[in-house]
Order: sequence, then structure tokens, then C-alpha cells
Amino acid sequence: METAAATASSWFDGDRAPLLGWLILLSMLVLASIAAARRGKKFPIRRIAGLVAVEEAVGRATEMGRPILFVPGVQDVDQMMTIAGLTVLSRVGKIAAEYDAQIEVPTARSLVMTAARETMQASYMSAGRSDSYNPDLVYYVTDEQFGYAAYVTGLMVRKKPATCFYMGQFFAESLIFAETGNAIGAIQIAGTAESSQLPFFVAACDYTLIGEEFFAASAYLSGEPDQLGSLRGQDLGKSAIGLLMIVVVFVATAAAVTGVSGLTDAAEWLRKLVGG
Amino acid sequence: MSQQPSHVSDPSRIKVIVATDCGSTTTKAILIEEIDGVYRQTFRGEAPTTVEEPFADVTMGVVNSVTELQELSGRRLIADDGTIIRRSSPAQSDGADIYISTSSAGGGLQMMVAGVVRQMTAESAKRAALGAGAIVMDTIASNDSRRPHEQIQRIRELRPDMILLSGGTDGGDSKKVVELAELIAPAKPRPRFGNEYEMPLIYAGNKEAAPLVAKVFDGRGFDLSIVPNLRPTLEYENLGPARDRIHDVFLEHVMAHAPGYDKLMTWADAPIMPTPGAVGDILQTIAKGRGINAVGVDIGGATTDVFSVFDGTFNRTVSANLGMSYSISNVCAEATMPMVLRWVHLAGMDERELRNRVKNKMIRPTTIPQSLEALVFEQAVAREALRLAYVQHKEFATTLKGVQQQRTVGDAFSQQESGKSVVDSMRLDLLVASGGVLSHAPRMEQTAMMLIDSFEPEGFTELAKDSIFMMPHLGVLASVHPKAAMEVFERDCLILLGTCIAAKGASKAGKPCFSYRIEGSGIRETGSLSGGELKLLPLPGGAVAEATVTPERGFDLGAGPGKPITRTVRGGTVGIILDARGRSLRLPEDRDQCRRAMESWVHTLRLYA
Repeated sequence: METAAATASSWFDGDRAPLLGWLILLSMLVLASIAAARRGKKFPIRRIAGLVAVEEAVGRATEMGRPILFVPGVQDVDQMMTIAGLTVLSRVGKIAAEYDAQIEVPTARSLVMTAARETMQASYMSAGRSDSYNPDLVYYVTDEQFGYAAYVTGLMVRKKPATCFYMGQFFAESLIFAETGNAIGAIQIAGTAESSQLPFFVAACDYTLIGEEFFAASAYLSGEPDQLGSLRGQDLGKSAIGLLMIVVVFVATAAAVTGVSGLTDAAEWLRKLVGG
Repeated sequence: MSQQPSHVSDPSRIKVIVATDCGSTTTKAILIEEIDGVYRQTFRGEAPTTVEEPFADVTMGVVNSVTELQELSGRRLIADDGTIIRRSSPAQSDGADIYISTSSAGGGLQMMVAGVVRQMTAESAKRAALGAGAIVMDTIASNDSRRPHEQIQRIRELRPDMILLSGGTDGGDSKKVVELAELIAPAKPRPRFGNEYEMPLIYAGNKEAAPLVAKVFDGRGFDLSIVPNLRPTLEYENLGPARDRIHDVFLEHVMAHAPGYDKLMTWADAPIMPTPGAVGDILQTIAKGRGINAVGVDIGGATTDVFSVFDGTFNRTVSANLGMSYSISNVCAEATMPMVLRWVHLAGMDERELRNRVKNKMIRPTTIPQSLEALVFEQAVAREALRLAYVQHKEFATTLKGVQQQRTVGDAFSQQESGKSVVDSMRLDLLVASGGVLSHAPRMEQTAMMLIDSFEPEGFTELAKDSIFMMPHLGVLASVHPKAAMEVFERDCLILLGTCIAAKGASKAGKPCFSYRIEGSGIRETGSLSGGELKLLPLPGGAVAEATVTPERGFDLGAGPGKPITRTVRGGTVGIILDARGRSLRLPEDRDQCRRAMESWVHTLRLYA
């Protein structure tokens, strides 16, 4: 006769110990990288075409005498992609202020509008053009996804902005925006980590910040040691995990093909090590 | 402007041509004659330029140089009244059919350009000015990081010959370009030659803003001319009208007010061109005529001009602080002494020695090397000056910026930025050298090596030098008689040094780089080269050979990495130079190793033997 399973409270699940090890290792890598960056060590970031092109895109709007459209996604400020989008907005806003180009930011969330206004104001101030900042050009439209999409595309067709930025979290409206922007002849720069929308942006926009590039933009643009060190630490951690996964795949495959028990044990041990 | 005689409209009647180039210090005259149905440059004369006081008449130098031609050729070219004799019929033994001239005397054509965005319309304006043969003194733009009062101050300080103002696409921005006009108008820049004439200002911006710009300059001491926009859309650059107008203004205002030029203009049968503009024109004519990509360089005492024609697109840059006499100190400062020293193979030379030589050259800028050490040092500096000038040229000669891109999903991980350099060393077919240090090098091998070390040509590239700096004369001749210009260029102007065959890729000493088989008139050579090696195969001028080169994995000679390629190569006074040092060219960092490597290359090419 089987006995009933008994539960007992415990502080720590020993089977998950490898994950704790990874957590400590990754944290150490990030902290060590930040410390190294603070000491002045240079961590080069490869050129991200989409960010390099920001100046050119703003210049185009200036030469053509047309506005710049910045769409910070359709989600709220609690989403990482929206935050990353606002980081890019600060850069775009600063260049637009320097060029004295008009930039319009319609938002789909009221809190995003508030955050975007503060970002823009800071950008204009840092460019020494606080007098040119117009808060009315950063405004809330609607929370409704397609109501917002309809408004933005209508705006694009009416005002024909020379440059469109789509930086944040997007869903079905991504292709509507990108196709409309392409049709009006605008330079378009998009950035999102929403993998299902990336193909649309890549095909229809001039430049696209893809996934991690979008999050790396903040470090790339600011050049702050803390952000650069953090980025490098994360990259090192991801590289280590990626490498280990390749080893696991090889050992597991060899174990399955040969049937050697030692390899099977090793594969199982490695699988647990990567938290599988 | 002078009236063109019937000869000019009928090139078949032009048999004898006198051409002069009025430089800052020397006026050079050449005589071109049709001999056995082919145009040849037959005689050359030279005299000091007389544009400055006490003479203050450029025609005196012209007459002196043409008189030398007259004495050498035995053909009477100068009339009793001091003008150049024109023949009335081909039977007449005296005189020339046409007289043409270029000029860079008095500093050449100096311009200021302005545009709305530095990387867009301002850059196009700069390209137009440089292409017309001007020196661009400064570029004013809305985003050039200077505040308006600083920009006005700068405009006031400059004394350009003319100003080119652009900005906005057609139907685009008007506000910024009018703002730029409002900066220039109150600054009241004065022309270089006296104050008696109004400052010429060419407007080549948004056509809708033209009336507003005209209103700003109205009655404020500017001679405004409006030409079509040089960036009607951001996708298209239309430099032709602005360049033509620059040439016209150069003649009407600048030349007309320079001493003696009013008289010289009445003598000339074609408009007088700025010297660099004429050099650019002949290079374009040759590139178009032969369907090739070409780069030309003219290294002077104070500046270095680089010209390029790639796929028909012409670009010119002037590196204002890179030169071999007045600017030599700047070359060493910009390149740094260790970079100069790496080209020196002599054991006793160190940085201190080099520094002393630089300062001596600064004190006596017009001296020429009197010893082997001085020659090696000068050629080392020349390599760095040329390298830096070429880097600047590649950065400037780019595709248009601010242009919409067309993408596919396949571009997800290979998105290229716009504004890529159009200069591609692998597709370069002809590299032409001129300027004292290159043209007057004691051995042709030295000229060839200076070109290879500084321009790093890849694949198959013909190397040539302008024998007596005749390209300006031929540039202006090309505007009236292209056939004569081409024939003289091919036969008398260019001295073909040979062909450089260089592999692109990271080379490692001792590691196989490529194998070759070269067969042709008087040559049959096979072999292979390892990383860091150079080889010279003599092939005389006029001879051609078939070269089949098979690169190792990771090396490219034009057909792709590791793929064999067969090309016809031309010989020259040097021959065929096989270069397995890799591209980009990296010399050993250790001074001793570098010196030994350099010594072996010097020995292989018999540079100073």
C-alpha cells in the first residue's frame, strides 16, 4: 500500500542550486564590468546603423521643411520597450532641437505623454534651445489601438513628415504605420523587441533596431560607464550560457547516438547545470 | 570674355595650340602640334609669374614663357605688339591656331559655401565649389556647432572671391536658408581683390526661397545670381549649373579684377579655367573615354589635391594643410612621427633626427633634398601626406546622405548606413601622380612605391605620373578639342610606371598569399608570393601581358576571396609590381622589424640603388 506524500516547508530547493550559481556568476560579471568601465576601461559597441542614421533623418526633415513624427509604441510606461523608446526620443529630441526641426509625438497612453514631455523638455534644455520646446506637440490621442493607428496614419498622410520613428512596443499596427510612412517617402527608423512585428519593420523601414539592439541603444547613446559595463556583463553571461548550451547539445547527441552511459550521465548533469 | 574664333568651332582646323598655366610662382607654356595626323606636345617653356608687384600684369609672364617656346621651336609666336600670333591659314608657318590658359595665380579661386544641413546641402555646395576648382575657405551651416554671432564673425574675417549659398530642397525649407542669407548679408564680407566690386553670391537652393533670398541681399553690396537648386530633392544632386556659374563668375569678377587678366582673357580662345578645375576635367574626360575609374593626386608645398572619378562620379578634395614645404610640420603633427618613421629604412634615423629635418624644412621650405637621408625622409613624409589626403578624400566622396533606403527582410542583419564612400580601391584602374615630390623623384620606382604605400591600391591598378604637370593645359584643351587632349594625354602627358597587382586581405609573414603566371611580349614568369613580400617584374612601356593570379583563401584580387583572376596588364618604366603585403597595409609595430621589412622592400624594388 502506497503512503501519502508528505509536504514539508523548506527554505531552499537544492535542485535549483545551479540557477543560484548562474545568478551569482552573471551578477559578478555585470558588477565587474561596471567597475572596469568606471575605472576607464573602454568597451566598444559596434555601430548601430539605425542610431547613427538619427542625425541624417533629422537633417532630412530640416532640409525638406517638414516635421518629424515619433511614435513611442502603443503600451504604457511600465513596459521596458516604452522606456527604451523614450531613451531614443531624448536623443532625437536633442538633435531636432539643435537643427530647429519640428517634432511631433502622439501617444497612446497618458502617462507616456507625460514622460515624453519631460524627456523632450530635458532634450531641448540640454541643446540650449528651451525656448523652442513646444509641449503641445507631445500629446495623448487614445488608448484604443486602432483608433490610435487611424489617427497616426491620418496625420502622416496630411502632414507628410520627412522622418518617422517607431520606437516601443507594437502589434498589428506596425505594418500600417511602416507602409504609410514608406508610401509618403519618409525615412523610417523603427525599434522594437516584439519579434512578431520585426519582419514588417525590417521590410518597410530604412533602419530597424532589432531586439537587443533596441535595449542597447540606451548605453550606446549615453556612453555612461554604468550602462556600458552592464551591457558588457550581460553579453558575457549570454555568451557563456550559449556556449554551454552548445556543449550540452553535442554531449546529448553523442550520448543518444552511442548509448554510452557515461555520456548520458554527463548530458543529464549538464542539463541540470543550465537549469533545464 | 573673348569671342571664340572660327578655329574653335571647327576643331579640324586646329593644328597648332599654345597653352599656358599661370601658377602662383611659375607660368608654364606648352606647344601642341599635329604631327602625322596625331597631336603631340612638342615644346615647353617656363617663366616666373608676374601677377604680383612690381609687374602686376600676368600677361608679362605669359609672354615670357611663350617666348621661350618660340625660341625652342623656331616658330614665331609673339607679335611685335606683345600678343600671341594667330594663324590665318594652315599654310602660315608662324603663330598658333588657338591659345588657351588656366590660372591658379594669386591663390586660385577661393570660396565660402553655406548650406542648411552640414552633411546635406552644405556638403553638396562644397562638392560643387571644389569640383569647379575652388579652395573652400569655410562651410557655414545651420548645424555647424557655431552660434550666429560666431558665424557672422567668421564670415567677416574671410575674404572669399565668391560665396555659394544653398539649402532646402525645391518646395522644402525656406526658413533656414533665409536665415543663412540674413547671416551673410549683414556680415558684409569683402572680396579678396579690392573693394571696388560687389561680392558675387551664387544662390543654388530651394527655388521657392529665391525671391526671399534676393530680397535679403537687395541693395546690400552683393552681386546675386540665382541658379537651379543643387539638391532639388535629397535623392538627386545637380551640381552642373552651380559649377558653370562659378566658372562664369570666376571670369567676370575674379579674373577681371586680377592684374593683367582682363588682357589675358581677350587673348584666350576659350574661357580661362581655375587650374584644379581643368585637372578635374581632363581626368573626367579620360575616365569617360576609357570607361575606367581613376584617381589623380597633386601634392604641392602647402596643399594636396585629390581627384577621383568612380562610375562617372567626379569628386575633388583639397587637403589644405598637407603639403611638402609650408605644411610639412602639419603633416608630421597630424600623422605623428612614429608613423613617418616607419617608412624610413635607414638605421641611423630616429625621431629626433626626423624632427630636426622637419624644422629645417620649415625654415627653408623651398629647398630640395641634397642627400640620400634627406630624400628618404622627404619621401616618408610624402607617403603620410598622401595617405592622409586620400583618407580625407574617401570620407568626403560619399553617396548622398538623407536618402530613403529600400530594404528587404534579407537586410535584417546587414543594414548599411547611407553616405558610404564611392572610392573603392579594388575598382580603381588608374592612379595618376603629379606634384614635385612625385614627379621629380630621382627614380620612377620611388614614385611608384610612394603611390602604392599611401593609396594602397587593391587588385590590378595602373600607376602613372604627369610628366611635366600638363594636365591643367589638357583640361582646358578638352573643352575645345577633346581628341587632341586625349592624344596628348596618352602619348606625352602620362608616363606609365607600370601595374600594381596587390591582394586584399590580412597578410601574415611567410604565409602563402597568391601565385601568378604572367605571359606576354618578352615576359614569361610564374611563381608565388608569401605575406609581406614584394616582387618587381620588368615589363617595358608599351608592352602588355596576360596575368593570371590565384589568391589563397582569405585574399582577393578582384574576383572574390580565393578566386583566380586573369587580366591584361600594361608595362611601364617600372614594370609590374606584385604586392603580397596585404590590405589594409600593416607594417610591424616594432621599429627594428619595421625597418628590416622596409629595407627588404627598398632592396627588392631598387628604390635607392
